[in-house]
Amino acid sequence: MFSLHLPPFTQGVGLSVVLALGLVAQSSAQVYPPYGPDIPVITNTEPQSGALNQDREKEPAPNPWNEESIWNMRVEGYNDNQARPIYQPLIVNQNGREILYAGNLAGTALNPLTGVQESNGTSIIDVTDVKKPKFLYHIPGPAPIAGSYAAAGAQMARVCGGNTLPNAAANGTAGHWYLLRAFGNAGPDESHQIWDVTDPAAPKFVVTVISGLSNTHKSWWECDTGIAYLVAGSKSDHWQQSGSTQHLYIYDLSNPAKPVYIRQFGLVGQQPSAPVATAQPCATAPSDTCYEGTTNPPGGVHGPISMGTTVNRVYLPYGVSSEGVIQTVNRANLIYGCLRSGPAGANPNASKDCAGNPTQADLLWPQVSWITMNPENGGHSSMPIFNVPIPEEQTNYLNGAPQSKSLLFVSSEATANNCYGQAPHEAWILDITSETTPWPIATLNVPQFPGDFCGKGARFGAHAVTEAIYPPYYGKIISVSWFNAGVRIWDIRDPKNPKPIAYYIQAPTANTESSCSTINGVTNCFNATMNDYVEYDDRGYIYAADRAGTGVTILSLTREALNAILPPSE
Amino acid sequence: MNIKWFVFGTAFVLCCFAAPVAYCGDGAAPSGAASAAGMVSERKLAQVMPGKSTKSQVQSLLGTPWRIVQFNDCGKAMPGQEDETWDYRGKDSHGTYRVHIEFDDAGVAHLVAKIPDNVRGGKGTTAKMAPLESMKSMQM
Repeated sequence: MFSLHLPPFTQGVGLSVVLALGLVAQSSAQVYPPYGPDIPVITNTEPQSGALNQDREKEPAPNPWNEESIWNMRVEGYNDNQARPIYQPLIVNQNGREILYAGNLAGTALNPLTGVQESNGTSIIDVTDVKKPKFLYHIPGPAPIAGSYAAAGAQMARVCGGNTLPNAAANGTAGHWYLLRAFGNAGPDESHQIWDVTDPAAPKFVVTVISGLSNTHKSWWECDTGIAYLVAGSKSDHWQQSGSTQHLYIYDLSNPAKPVYIRQFGLVGQQPSAPVATAQPCATAPSDTCYEGTTNPPGGVHGPISMGTTVNRVYLPYGVSSEGVIQTVNRANLIYGCLRSGPAGANPNASKDCAGNPTQADLLWPQVSWITMNPENGGHSSMPIFNVPIPEEQTNYLNGAPQSKSLLFVSSEATANNCYGQAPHEAWILDITSETTPWPIATLNVPQFPGDFCGKGARFGAHAVTEAIYPPYYGKIISVSWFNAGVRIWDIRDPKNPKPIAYYIQAPTANTESSCSTINGVTNCFNATMNDYVEYDDRGYIYAADRAGTGVTILSLTREALNAILPPSE
Repeated sequence: MNIKWFVFGTAFVLCCFAAPVAYCGDGAAPSGAASAAGMVSERKLAQVMPGKSTKSQVQSLLGTPWRIVQFNDCGKAMPGQEDETWDYRGKDSHGTYRVHIEFDDAGVAHLVAKIPDNVRGGKGTTAKMAPLESMKSMQM
C-alpha cells in the first residue's frame, strides 16, 4: 500500500551507538511526517507467544510526591524554561543543531536574557548538547488585555526548513527555517504567525497567516508540501462547535511569506449551515442535516495529524476531553475537495461555497470513517502507526503469512485536579487496518495506586500521545504524557498486550505552579508537576515538558526499555 | 582553612544574602524563583482578602508577582482551573513558601494560599477562599 523506505535504524544497534550516530539520524528522520512522506518499516522482534507471560520486571511504585521517580530511563539534561509553563515541545534538527521550540501557556515571567518580564510565548533552546541546554531566545506572546492574560500564550509550534518546502528557489525559502506558531489562545483577536528562525537566537517576524480568531490550537504543517492544517475558529466564520470552538483552516504555506487559503473543514454538524436546533445524530437518524458523534454540535478538533502524500490520510480527534469522535479523512480529497476539477481529490459536485460554508456533502467527500468515543472521553491525540507486526499472528492465520496491523493511538485529556468530577482519562490502541471500521484492541492505563496520583494534586490522567516519528521507536514503544504521573512509555511490540516499560515523574521545584481544588467545601493546593507533552528528537532523546512551570527534562531509555527497541540478538 | 572551602563558603553566604527566598541550598536555583521580584511581606499578605482584593490592590500591597500563570487551554477545563494565578515567594520561621493567588474573570482574588515548599505528606495546603466559593465546590 505504501512506498516504504527502510530506515537505517531498523538494522538495529544499541541506543548508545544510535546516539553516537546522530548525524545519520538527522538525514533519515526528516523524511517522515511532517517533514516528508515516508513511513518507517517495522520488524517483529517478539517471540510468537507475544508479550503475555514474559518474565518482565515489575513496574516499581513511585517515590513520595516530592521526589523524582524514574524507571528504565535516565535524566540526560534539563532547562527550567524561565519557569514558564510549557504546552508543546518540538525538537528540530536545524543543519546539525538540535533546537527545542517550546510553546508556552499564558502568563508572564522574567526573561533573564533581556531583564524584562515577558508575556509567555515561544521559548527557543539549543539542546545540541543535552547536558548543557542553552536558552537562546524567547519570542513573547500576546500582551495582556485589560490586565488579563486569559487570551494570551503561544502554545503551539511547528517548524519547517525552507529547503524542504516546495519551490524553495522560486520562493526564496532556500536556506531558511520557519516557525509556525499560535499567537494567543482564546480571545477576541487570536492568530497564527510565521517567524523566520534561520538564526534561532534572533528570530524575525514574517507574517500573520490569519488573525481575528477567537480560538487557536494545535496545528500541523507538512514541510514537503507546505500544506498547513491550522486549528482555529472565530465567531465571524459561523462554524458551530460544542466546548472548544475550533475547526480546521487549511492553508498552503509553501511560501511562508505568502499564505494561500484553501478551505475550512470540520465534522458533519459543525458547518455554518447545520441546523443545530433540529439536527439528529447521524448514527441513529442519518440525514443531510445530522451531526456526527454524541453532542450537537460536535466538539471542536484538537490537533490534526497528517501522514502526508504517501499514506494520503489525516487523522482528526474531536472533543478533547469529552464527547469524542475520531475521524479519518482522505488527504487529497480534503485539500482539493472544494475544486470541481484538477488534481486527484477534486470533487465534481463541490458546492459553490465549499471552502468556507460547506454543505454536508462537501464535508463527507474526504471522510473515510469516524468512530464515536464513550461520551466521558474526548479525542485529544490520534497518532497512527502503520504495519505493526502481530507476534501471535506470524503463522497459521489467514494464508499463513505473517500478519501486521495498522494502529491508531488515541488519548483523552484529563482536565480535573485531584480526579474529582471526572471519569478516568486514558489512551487506547485502535486497529485501523480496516480503516472504515476502526476498533479498539487495548487500553493504555496508569492506575491511581500505587502513587496516590489522585491525592497528590494537579491533574492525573492521559494528555497527549507523542507525535514525532523516530524510526527505532516506531512500532516498538509509545509515549503518553500523563500529567502528575509523568512520562509513561509502553512496549507495543505486541500491541494486543501493551506493557508498561518506563516512566519518569519529575519532582516539584520552587518553580512548580501549585494546583488547587475545592472538594466538599475545602480548598487545598498542591505542589505537583504535570507532564504536558513528551516528544522525541532525531537522536532518540525524550523530552518531558512540564505544564506547571518546572521546565523541560531530557531523558534517554535504559535497561528493558532500551531492549525493547533492539533486535532480539542484542 | 582550605582556600577552596573558604571561597565556596563565601560564595554560598553571598548567594543566600543576595536572594533570601531563593533555593540557596538545592543546587541550581530556578531562574524565576531566584528573582527578587515577588517576595512578600507577611503583614501585607494578611491584607489580601479573598472575594474583595482586586489585581491592582494586590499589586499595590505585594508588588509585582515573580510569575503569572494562566492555564488557558481550549476553554474546556474544570471550573476554576483557568483562573489567572499570581505567584509570590516568601520565607518564615518554618522555611520557604510560595504565595498563590487566583483571580476570577472580574480580576478579584478568590483564592489565596500560602504553601510551604515542603508540605509533609503531600496532602496539600488549605487555601483561603472567597466566602461563596465553597458553594461552587464539587461535593463527594
